[in-house]
This record gives sequence, C-alpha cells and structure tokens, in this order.
Amino acid sequence: MAHADPHDHGHHSHGPDHVPHVTPLPIYLKTFATLVVLTVITVGASYINLGTSVNLALALIIATTKACVVAAFFMHLASDHKFHTAVFASSIVFLGIFVAFTMFDTSARGQFDAQKKNRPAQMTDPFAKATAAPSAAPAAAAAPAGATKAGAKP
Amino acid sequence: MMSASTEAHEKGSPDFVVAHHFDSADTQFDAGRLGIWLFLVTEVLFFGGLFCAFFIYRNWYFDSFVEAHHHLDKQMGALNTVFLITSSLTMALAVRAAQRTKRSETVNMLFVTFLLAGCFLVVKYFEYTHKIHDGLLPGAMFSAQGFATQHAGVFFAIYFVMTGIHGLHVVIGMGLILWILIRAHRGDFSSRYYAPVEGVGLYWHLVDLIWIYLFPLLYLVG
Amino acid sequence: MSRAATADAVYDESGGKNYINAEKGVVSWLTTVDHKRIGLMYLVSTLTMFMIAGIFALILRIELMKAGEDFLTPAMYNQAFTLHGAMMVFLFIIPAIPGGLGNFILPIMIGAKDVAFPKLNLLSLYLYWTGSIFTASSIVSTGLDTGWTFYVPYSTTVSQTSVIAVTFGAFILGFSSILTGLNFIVTIHKLRAPGVTWYRLPLMLWAIYATSIVQILATPVLAITLLLLILERAFQVGIFDPKLGGDPVLYQHFFWFYSHPAVYIMILPGMGIISDIIAVHSHRRIFGYKAIAFSSVAIALVGFLVWGHHMFTSGQSELASTIFSFITFFVAVPSGVKVFNWTSTMWGGSIAWSTPMLYAMSFLFLFTIGGLTGLPLAMVGLDLHLHDTYFVVAHFHYVMMGGAVIAFIGGLHHWWPKMTGRMYHETPAKIACALIFVGFNMTFFTQFFLGTRGMPRRYHTYLDQFQPLHAFSTFGSWVLGAGLFLVLFTFIHSLLKGERAPKNPWGGKSLEWETSSPPPTENFHRTPVVTHGPYDFATTGK
Repeated sequence: MAHADPHDHGHHSHGPDHVPHVTPLPIYLKTFATLVVLTVITVGASYINLGTSVNLALALIIATTKACVVAAFFMHLASDHKFHTAVFASSIVFLGIFVAFTMFDTSARGQFDAQKKNRPAQMTDPFAKATAAPSAAPAAAAAPAGATKAGAKP
Repeated sequence: MMSASTEAHEKGSPDFVVAHHFDSADTQFDAGRLGIWLFLVTEVLFFGGLFCAFFIYRNWYFDSFVEAHHHLDKQMGALNTVFLITSSLTMALAVRAAQRTKRSETVNMLFVTFLLAGCFLVVKYFEYTHKIHDGLLPGAMFSAQGFATQHAGVFFAIYFVMTGIHGLHVVIGMGLILWILIRAHRGDFSSRYYAPVEGVGLYWHLVDLIWIYLFPLLYLVG
Repeated sequence: MSRAATADAVYDESGGKNYINAEKGVVSWLTTVDHKRIGLMYLVSTLTMFMIAGIFALILRIELMKAGEDFLTPAMYNQAFTLHGAMMVFLFIIPAIPGGLGNFILPIMIGAKDVAFPKLNLLSLYLYWTGSIFTASSIVSTGLDTGWTFYVPYSTTVSQTSVIAVTFGAFILGFSSILTGLNFIVTIHKLRAPGVTWYRLPLMLWAIYATSIVQILATPVLAITLLLLILERAFQVGIFDPKLGGDPVLYQHFFWFYSHPAVYIMILPGMGIISDIIAVHSHRRIFGYKAIAFSSVAIALVGFLVWGHHMFTSGQSELASTIFSFITFFVAVPSGVKVFNWTSTMWGGSIAWSTPMLYAMSFLFLFTIGGLTGLPLAMVGLDLHLHDTYFVVAHFHYVMMGGAVIAFIGGLHHWWPKMTGRMYHETPAKIACALIFVGFNMTFFTQFFLGTRGMPRRYHTYLDQFQPLHAFSTFGSWVLGAGLFLVLFTFIHSLLKGERAPKNPWGGKSLEWETSSPPPTENFHRTPVVTHGPYDFATTGK
C-alpha cells in the first residue's frame, strides 16, 4: 500500500495515530462468568418441565441475554460507535421480518378449507346450488404441494 | 507516504502506513470495523434462513422434534458451549493484548483459542459419528428404528445443516486464527495497528453467538 | 453538443497520464485495485453477458413467431428461456450498474481516491467471473431448464440438467454482490471529501447506498437457499421435499425473500442514474432532493415486506396473501414520489435534447407503465387470473428492461465521455435510442394483450388465435435488437474515431465533472473541497 503520491497535499498528513480503547480485564472476566452461569442455568432449566412454550421462552431469553453480553463486551459494542450497534440490530430486525412473515403463511394454511368446500362447483353457473361434483378450480391445481401441506401438519 | 513509514520505524513499532485513500489512521480503523460489522450482518441473515426453517418445522412437527431432540447428547452440547465461551474470552484477551502491544501474550491467547476451537470440533466429531452410526440422518438417509413419530428426519436435516455450516465456520475461524497467530508472532501488530486481530475476533465472537442460540434450541428444547 | 464544453476544457494537468494509460499490459489490468479499471472490466463483462442473454431472447422470439415447433424442441426452448432469465438477472442487471457504473463513479462523486477496500473490490470482480463461468458452463454441458427461479421440487428431483453448477454459480455471484455492497456502504460513510455532506451526495449515490443495504440484507438469504437446494439435490436432506415432510413453498419464501428485494437491487441504481441525468441535462436544480433520496431508502426497506406477492397461487395461506398484497401497494408511493419529482425537475429547466436525456424520458414513460401494471398484479383476485401469463412477462420487462436497462444505457452515454475520454456521435446514438424505444414497446406492449387473453408464459407454442400478436412482438424484438447493436457500434466508433471529451461536456455540477476525462489514477490531483450541492444550477425554475 505504500504508494508515493506527489499530489498528496490538501489532505491533512495522516492524522493522529490510532489510540485503542482498551477494556479493563475485570470486565472480560465478569462477562465470562456471566456466560458460564447462564449456561448452567439454561441446561438446568431444560431438566425441569415448565410446559413447552415456557421452556422455549426461557431458553430464548437466556440465549438472548448471553448474546447481548457477548456483543456488548467481547465485541465492544458498548464502547464502540452507536452506528455499529444499529447495523447489527438491523440484521436482527430483518431476520425477525423474515421469520414472522413466513410464519404468517406456514401457521395459517388451510384456514379457509371449510369455506372452499362450499365454493360453486359449476364455474359457469356459480349461483346454482352446489352439486356433489368436486371443484376443478385452477388455483387448487396449480398448488398441490402447498395445499396438501396444511393437511399434513399435525 | 514513505516518510510516514520511516517515522513508524523510528517509533519502534512495526511498519504500518495509512492506506493512501484514507485521511487518518482512525478513519481506516473505523472503515475496517464497519466493514466487519456489515459482514456479520450477512452472517446473521445467512444462518437466519435456517432458524426460520427450524421454527416453522418445529411448529408443524412438534412431537417429532421433541422426540428427536432426546437423541442429542446434552452433556456434549454443554461441553462444547463451555469450549466456545472460553475461546471467546481468550479471543477477547488476545485482542486486548494486541491493543497493548504485548506480543507473546497475543500469541499465547490466540493459541489457546485455536486449541479450544479444535476441542469443539473433536467433540462434534464424536457426536456426528454416533449419529451416523445410529442412522439419525437427514431426510432420505434417516434409517433409525423405533421412532413413534414420522418426521424425525426433518429435525435431523436441520440439525446437520445448522451444525454443519456452523462447524464449517469454526474450521474457517481456525484458519483465520492461525493466520493472525503467525502474523502476531512475526510482530505485525501493535497498539497502532491491530485491525486484523480485532476483525477475526469479531468473527469468532459471532461464531460463538450463533452457537449460543443453536445449543438450547437443538439440544435443550428441541 | 453542450454549452459548457468549451468553457472549461482543461484536458489534464499531468502530462497526458490517466487511469487507462497509467500502466500497460493485461497483467496490470488483472492485478489492479483501481476502482475505475475494475468498473470498466465489470462493464465489459456484464455487457458481454447482456449480449449472450439478449441473443437467447431473440432466438426465443423467433421460435414464437409461429405456433408449433419450428426450430427449437420444447426441451431446448425451456433451456433457452431459463438461460435468458438467469443470465440477464444474475450476470447482467444485478452486477451491471453497481459493479460497472457504480464502481467507476462512486468514489469520484465523493472526492475519494478509491473505494474503502480496493482489494476486496478486485476479489468481487474475480468472484463475478468465477460465478459466470459456473453459470455459463451449463450452456455447453447439459443446459438448465428450471427457469431462473430454480423452483423445487422440479429442480431437486425431476430436472436432468446442470442445476448444481448453475446454482453454485449464483451462490458465488451472491458473494460478489455482497462484497460490492459492503464496500460501497463503508466508502460512502468514511471516504467523503471535505464538504461532501450527506445532503450534498448526488442522488445516484443515495440510490446506490439503498441498493447496497438490500445487497447486504437480502443476498445472504439467497446463499443459504441455494445451498439448501444443492444439499437437497445431492443428498435429499428433505427440507424442501414434501415426500420427506419438507415444504416446497418454504423454498419460494426463501427464494423471494432475496429475489423480490433483488428487483430493487436492479431498479434502484437505475433510478439514481435517471435523477442525475434529468437534473444535469435540464440544467435545473433537482426538485425535491430529500424526497428522492429518502424514497430510495424507503423503496429498499418496504421492498423487504412484499415478497409473498409472487406466491399468491403457490398455496400460500390466505392470511399471508392478504398481508403481502396490502403492503405491496405501499411500494407505489415512493416510486410515485420519484416520478413526480423528476417531472417537476424538468419543468422550467433548459432541457438539452441529448441522448442521455432521451433515455431518461424513455425511462419515465416505460417505468411508469411497468409500475402501474404492477398494481393489478398485486391484487390477489386479479393475480389469480394473470399469474404466469404474458401480462407478468410484459410487466417485469417494462420494469427491468424499460426501467433498469434503459437507465443503464442512458447512464452509459452520460458518463461515457468521463470513462473513455471520447465523445460519441449524437446522431446514431439518438437513432438507436428511438429504435430501442419503439422496438421495446412493439415487443412488450403486445404481451399485455396476450397475457390478458390467457397466453401462459414459458410455453414454446400456443393457440392459433395468439399468432398475430406473437408475430408483431417478434418483429418488435428485431427493431429492439437493431437499436441495441447500433448502440454498440456507436460506442465502438467513439473509441476509434470519437473526438476528445472535455472535462465537463454536459455542464454538470457534481464532482466527477471537475476532474479530467478520463480521470487520473488518483481521481483528483488534489483532494477537492466542496462548497456547493451537486445540482446547484443557475436555473431554478420559472
């Protein structure tokens, strides 16, 4: 990178030296202790049956606490530019969008299957009383995989 | 630029010059750090797809997931968690040593980190061979007998893909640690310049962070 | 040509040295870390891919001129449209504007000497080449017939073609795209010259910044998707296989979480180019600077919430379809904000009828049609009828080709003098623009009618009643192709015979017009200090 540049005036020398922000040793040790304690708690909690959703929530809360501790102290977000925290947080936000919106689909499939059964079988005469013939609606034919999926779920 | 380099030598620290397109050392440091953070964002979303799949299938095949997760070894998972947490600590201490121009301390801490990463992989190896032996494999390869539920194969597909990709990150991390270990030994780093140590450190902490979620989700609550 | 051409025609201050002749030989190009050289190599590579993929398109149109099997078998037809789509998307539109024009222009526009990570930039180009080789290798091996979307279960269990090679190629291209985006974000944050505040960034850079956000946040999901697809095909892991308890629709969620935002990776930089062209060639302060800037960011963010509108007929739940449909309409708001602001910028300006301006006007017309025809497709009820018909084909060609590609060609004309140091001949360039505009509309406007009448996409033959419209569309594709080749000849002629370009041929106010054409390796002889905005023209309206 050492690059002789004859036109290099106008930009202020090479700035002052970089001075690192050194985190005191006890902070690292306390962080480590916190992580070990939380690991013990989360393993211990898994032996107690609190109901599946409570167990899951507890595990996620503990994991998130651990993640925050790692990010804040080991990864220096606590003393770093706030912008880096924002950058990292954005990944969590968009991951949340990804999971949540996908679950709008996967957890709500087949909600209207009952109503769909009553849809007019005769497309050319929709207001005639439904006959026994099964509907041949093109939309259903186009999506066999997704439509059967809902039925398969326990 | 040449003069900056000689000046650095006079100060007794390794030769480091600010790259020609940055206006100061601080800007270059910050740019590097921002770059690493953006990279970590891509890592989170890369694993995110798998977490998404995990939650969806757990929702659908809850009984299978509960049954299948009892076949994972909690003790081994917990042991690996301790290995990774400890390696995170030593990595953080390596960065701290580099920041204070403590060459041998940096090298030692990196070496311990490297060893702990190796231990993680050894434990992982035993877990994998055990699973393969029992036929607890993804999808079409699933051949274990005596399961009460149908979809254990989906659980093991997610288990193997997630831990496999995570394990690949550990291997890549070991390569990176080795690289900065050699450079640290050579004396490339000082309080004026330790960006590669810090960058690899951030990456390594992220690998730990992913495991912090993988462990409870796969081993503990299933 | 331009009024400003003579005023400040300072050719160079460094004895004829510029980034092109600074070093000689192939090796000096392959090992360069100069963003301008990398940009130029990106341009040549992506334009080559554009030509190959375009020739596929012409072949498809010829096959479709008459019903029945003419000279392509159905299997060959499937492979031709797949490669046309995959190459256009992954090898041309996504990398072309950021990798080519963006690389060249971004550091100059902010007064920097290079991007933040020059070596990473070169790595990104090498990854692009590697990915291209994997993708293009399918042409000479067994082809690819999955469509550019690689939908499962066809791609994992049925197709006999080289799915793994192409998806692995796209996986690598994803890394290339991520590295470019990462580099640009850091560069814009850290390397702005003194005085270049955020609100003094040319709008092109706001657009590129928004694009980079999408590249960072969305591309990793494509990577994991394609990786799972490869694992699925190679080992049958079952995550997407319904037989093993997996869900093929989940693949579509994964795919479109990337690929819908990817649409904005393609169109946003185009919108940036148009903002710059319209302001400079109207010699008019841009109307609603902040509105255009923030609408770019808004499009990027809202673009993450709408991917399910590709899946209304895929067996997605009614709840999800309703939510996605509703949010999709919000994308129209920032897009509309942009179109109105561009139009208002021209109002009262002194418009130069230059080639870039003609492309910008074509863009306004075509993009508006493309955008408005997206609205009926966002309605679940109408989409059930229009899904997978030529209406969809016409819609996205109006956005992708009529929007992104037209803007790209306009931008190429706009910055051509800066990049090459040569002017091009205005007359053939304008004729080419007219041919492209007419040919494009002949080809694709027709397809709206075909689609509403029920012509499904991706078929090599059709009912006789569609024959006249298909034939007309094919004639249009020839006009379009002729126009594009004329652009190529104009540029080649300019390289060989073009007159020397002055430093500011269009009278622009942003930083790239303050350095020589072509710029020296370090971009500026001294770091510029900026005291005015990029669009501070004397004319401020009536």
